[in-house]
Amino acid sequence: MPLVKIPKPKFIEKLQRFFFVDLLKGLQLTLKYNLGALTDKDAVGGKGIYTEQYPKVRPDVAPRFHGAPRLNMDPETHDTLCIACNLCALACPEDCIDVLAMDVEIIVAGKPRKKKVLDEFIFDTSRCMFCALCQEACPTSCLELTQDFELATYSRAGFVWNREMLEQGRETVKYTR
Amino acid sequence: MHQVEIATTRETLLDSPEMVLNMGPQHPSTHGVLRVILKLDGETVMDLDCDIGYLHRGMEKIAENRMYTMIAPYWDRLDYIAAVSNGLVWVETVEQMMGLVVPPRAHYIRTILTELNRIASHLLWLATHALDIGAVTVLLWALREREEILKIFERQFGARLTCHAWRVGGMPNDAYDEFEADVRRFVSNFPMRLDEYETVLSENRIWLSRTVGIGVISAEDAVAIGLSGPALRGSGVAWDIRKARPYAAYADMDFDVPVGENGDTYDRYLVRLEEMRQARRIVVQALDKLPDGPVNAKLPKIVKPPAGDYYHSIEGPKGEIGCYLVSDGTAQPWRVRVRPPSLINLQALKKLCLGHLVADVVAIIGTLDIVLGEIDR
Amino acid sequence: MELLLLAPVNFIDQLLLRFFSAETINHVIWPFIQIGLVVTLVAGWVAYATYLERKISAFMQARLGPMRVGPWGLLQPIADGIKLLTKEDFIPEKADRWIFFFAPYIAVAAAFITFSVIPFAPDWGVITDVNIGLLFVLAVSSVGVLALILAGWSSNSKYSLLGALRSSAQMISYEVAMGLSLIGALMFARTLSLSGIVSAQESDSVWYFVYQPVGFLIFLVSGIAENNRAPFDLPEAESELVAGFHTEYSGFRWSLFFMAEYAAMVIVSAVAVTVYLGGWYFPFVYRQTEAKGYHNLYVIVSLLIFLGKLAAILYLYFWLRWTLPRFRYDQLMDIGWKWLIPSALINITLSALAIFVVQALDGWHNIRTVQSLANGLDLTATGKAIMIVMGFLGLGITGLLLARINWRSRDFNLKSQRRNIRLVNLPQGKPAVPAVAPAAGE
Repeated sequence: MPLVKIPKPKFIEKLQRFFFVDLLKGLQLTLKYNLGALTDKDAVGGKGIYTEQYPKVRPDVAPRFHGAPRLNMDPETHDTLCIACNLCALACPEDCIDVLAMDVEIIVAGKPRKKKVLDEFIFDTSRCMFCALCQEACPTSCLELTQDFELATYSRAGFVWNREMLEQGRETVKYTR
Repeated sequence: MHQVEIATTRETLLDSPEMVLNMGPQHPSTHGVLRVILKLDGETVMDLDCDIGYLHRGMEKIAENRMYTMIAPYWDRLDYIAAVSNGLVWVETVEQMMGLVVPPRAHYIRTILTELNRIASHLLWLATHALDIGAVTVLLWALREREEILKIFERQFGARLTCHAWRVGGMPNDAYDEFEADVRRFVSNFPMRLDEYETVLSENRIWLSRTVGIGVISAEDAVAIGLSGPALRGSGVAWDIRKARPYAAYADMDFDVPVGENGDTYDRYLVRLEEMRQARRIVVQALDKLPDGPVNAKLPKIVKPPAGDYYHSIEGPKGEIGCYLVSDGTAQPWRVRVRPPSLINLQALKKLCLGHLVADVVAIIGTLDIVLGEIDR
Repeated sequence: MELLLLAPVNFIDQLLLRFFSAETINHVIWPFIQIGLVVTLVAGWVAYATYLERKISAFMQARLGPMRVGPWGLLQPIADGIKLLTKEDFIPEKADRWIFFFAPYIAVAAAFITFSVIPFAPDWGVITDVNIGLLFVLAVSSVGVLALILAGWSSNSKYSLLGALRSSAQMISYEVAMGLSLIGALMFARTLSLSGIVSAQESDSVWYFVYQPVGFLIFLVSGIAENNRAPFDLPEAESELVAGFHTEYSGFRWSLFFMAEYAAMVIVSAVAVTVYLGGWYFPFVYRQTEAKGYHNLYVIVSLLIFLGKLAAILYLYFWLRWTLPRFRYDQLMDIGWKWLIPSALINITLSALAIFVVQALDGWHNIRTVQSLANGLDLTATGKAIMIVMGFLGLGITGLLLARINWRSRDFNLKSQRRNIRLVNLPQGKPAVPAVAPAAGE
């Protein structure tokens, strides 16, 4: 193969190569890291250690993180904010949301009216890809993807969250050791 | 299924046939589920064939059955290392087909974050390439810097890898409050880190002897095969879509395109390292010029491009990511076709590998920087 | 202090004397006790060498390494051991069962037998002082490669086979360089007994690496290659051959290979320490302890000194492994045959020449160079100075000669390796504009 435009090596480069300067520079850098890690425990100046000791130290999750889903409730009345509009189910690319609504009769201004309220909300987290399109579609800020990222369960059925789990949160074992 | 012809007749010991070695789909350095069938004479590669499709998920077919807005998260899963760039090509195709004018602030933020993603992708390439050649320490150093970028992504998009970064017409959210400070901190530390990798690798005689003259491809062959990205530029062809057909805010940016001379693994290595430096330069410029204003265009209720077809491509970290979109005027595309850079770059593998040793095959797969999610789709 | 240390030993001695004759005790029972001790200690050391390697590599890579089992992960090797022992012992269906069974044991046995001749310390720190100790070490440690070949062949896997072939070729090439590099040092020691080599260095109060810098470097490099350590870890190159010869091994058998590798590493470092770094000899130690009558203290301090030097060489091993990329197979052969073996031969010639010159200078113009020849080659201060100068001169001469020999070699030829890339400021093309004009009203 033709090798074009090769710069002629200078004498100093030849000399450096003769004395293994190229290898020694790399060795010096790793030694610097090694000694730096022994003497300096903070992540400063490229010497420290960057390991996050996950179960012991909880990671700092960003506020916008798309994690476990949650159905928000009105903080005062503890009624669900969901109006069963089905927009989230329509927006979901993976069809993992099922909104089951039921009609209740209420009296508005003395007349009986039918109103659609939420009966059951099924969210299949095993198929969810956490794109947050449902969260953006929700008109009442009810469905929200939270910062909880520990979604593993022992069974496939455990991935399907119902309304109660979405509202109250799922019980998980928090490992701290 | 591909088949490599093997001599089936029994031959004497001295005249033994070549050995067929299946490298992959479970192999530590085929970067996923690539299966390479090698015909070896001793350790010299006599013939080679690739078997792909182990990660086929039917992305293009899925896209035909989804609304335009729903397709973007799938796009992240093509080249999951460069999800932000992938997402950009989809939304830009739809936007340009619809004739949407995206506000300049969105364009600038897109430029910043795709360049950061280019750095992240090249860092992961450097990490795995160095690991394949045996320099394990560089792997973790490179991943450490990538972590900084992924943290920025997490704060901006809400996810680290498959971010679902863009929406048709702009962005889901404006840049978060400390965005500029975070990016500036990263770009100020980054050159020092790059110099560290260079100290360990660039002049190291072992690294040189493993990469120089390995997998040489001439400019003519590279163009004929259709290589793109650093693999093409390493062979000496100065071609960059960011310059040739500027998209996002690249028309306002001042940057150079690194071009190699010999088309071997070492040149591609140098080109990618220089691209990281140039990407940093672009990020700094874009941050300095970052305009104020909205980040979303005014969108119709349902995204419905007019009937017709359109091709748009951007310069991804691995090469030209293209999207060919045929619309019939409904809310779902009629046909979507991706031009994955990795698939087309992989076609050069046989040409690059013949006559080299098994160890070089690993180095060459590394230097092509393939991602199987994109090849198999 | 003396009595306290000796009390248990004396007690056991008295106890044993009731049942056996003094001869049996000295030649059978005590060696067994020593062997048991050394094997236990070495196994423990091997386990903790993995811990050290993981920690050191972690620190080099800005990580923490094992932290979960025990404080700072100190119990990690034990947890690993339990895990490996309880794992399924999997044998591939088409494997050659018996050879597959026995290959790991050969590897471990070959590695551990060698410890019997290593002089860890004076007096009771030596298990057995064989007068061909060095030859024994070289011979037995090269049996280890047999295990690798058998393992690679019997696994009936192509990756294992390639690994085995690589390791056999590598061992053959580097064994030669290793053996040749030791000859220079033996010229000074004039004995093959490892204890003899140490006492020769002690009586001359010098470490042989100052006489033999070339030999020391060759020995270190070929030692790394001999142990299949990075950057020469081709037989198990994980990115190319998955795991090389032990691809198909799992559980306990795999751990035996692992132990053999670390034990072999300890042995090569121990030989390097013994031959080139003066073994347990350190200046002033003898005068401070033995001369004042503290015999056992002398032995223990010597042992610690030996272990310290060993640790330094092992650190070098770890350090190189986590910094340098891996060589390719043909480049490895190049280094073995084109660089190390010629330099070993040059080293032998130059050392012989240096010894001849120093001996010839003795008595000329009242220069005294040789002190005595009784215990190796003992030189006076002048002789030492001349020898050290000639040793380091030899380093330069060897380098220049090698450069001359390999002038055309690709590895040396800078011209074919360095190059730059250009930066092009491409002209800007037509921007990718929206295909249709923005539709109004939408």
